[in-house]
Amino acid sequence: MKIKGYHWAIGLVAVLLGIMLAVQFQMNSSLQKNLSSERTEKLTQQIEQKKMALEKLQARVEEMRQKLDEATARPELGRLKVQLDKVGIMAGTVPVVGPGIEVTLNDSNVALQPGQNPNLYVLHDEDVLKVLNELKAAGAEALAINDQRLIATSEIRCIGPTILTNGNKRLAAPFVITAIGNPDTLYNALFMKGGVAEQLKDWGIQVSASKMNEVIISAYSGAISYEYGNGGDKA
Amino acid sequence: MWFGTILAAVGLFLGLFIGLKVPIVLPESYAPYLGLAVLAALDSVFGGIRAGMEDHFDNTVFLSGFFANALFAAGLAYIGERLGVPLSTAAVVAFGVRLFQNLAIIRRHLLKK
Repeated sequence: MKIKGYHWAIGLVAVLLGIMLAVQFQMNSSLQKNLSSERTEKLTQQIEQKKMALEKLQARVEEMRQKLDEATARPELGRLKVQLDKVGIMAGTVPVVGPGIEVTLNDSNVALQPGQNPNLYVLHDEDVLKVLNELKAAGAEALAINDQRLIATSEIRCIGPTILTNGNKRLAAPFVITAIGNPDTLYNALFMKGGVAEQLKDWGIQVSASKMNEVIISAYSGAISYEYGNGGDKA
Repeated sequence: MWFGTILAAVGLFLGLFIGLKVPIVLPESYAPYLGLAVLAALDSVFGGIRAGMEDHFDNTVFLSGFFANALFAAGLAYIGERLGVPLSTAAVVAFGVRLFQNLAIIRRHLLKK
């Protein structure tokens, strides 16, 4: 058999076609792997579902807490109820009403000069912590920030432009901190010479507070579960 | 004729093998163009098979058609992309129609034998 010119052409073309087909096939399969919009949608749906489930569970917690309240309302449990109320205030499971102050913190409204670090003029989690700490030191009995009751395990964490507290509650500026305690003591503790408020005002951060005759602080709404700690007789 | 067919089959498998084994990396944005080039090349190949069956296979026409069609298809698609005119759709339709026509004619030739 004699190899003619066009045989070479056919062979060459066939090899080229094969390479092109294979490359295209590989590219296409890798493209499909990267097409993640469907996946994103699925994940979003899952988040929605979980959120709904969370809401339902939250409602159940409320319901059960109410039942618990009803149960403790029986007369023979009066003494225990007084104690429970005290412990409840401490733990944050009951709403608290009393005199106190309301502190409002907001980012600086100073106009930035070119080259200045904007971070210095923004309210940070540490600033909020300082204020809370000062209020605690001045005898605040119950604390809440933007209507989130602060309990013993509440954290104040920086996550981007917002702060996180009580596990999953995001709070954004302005922060309104309500505290129950002696209004004068609380106010003076914050606004004394060289105190927290003055330090914050140095950076242009807006701090204002008003004494109030009645502050209402709602109960802690999250779940309370202890996985590791054992109390009572086991301790 | 038979030698040509065998040569084509061997070449195709060799090409597929090379393409799958050698990691030829092309940017993902080129995928549509290569796809069009593949379509045009397929069209030329089926055209060549048809011509071979009708005994007027011309090597020059075949070779030039293979490369020119592939390059023009990809090039036009690229220009269309720049201009915002979906020329790639036109190429897909044109080559697709021709591909199926050629296939139909090839089938009829095979049936007549």
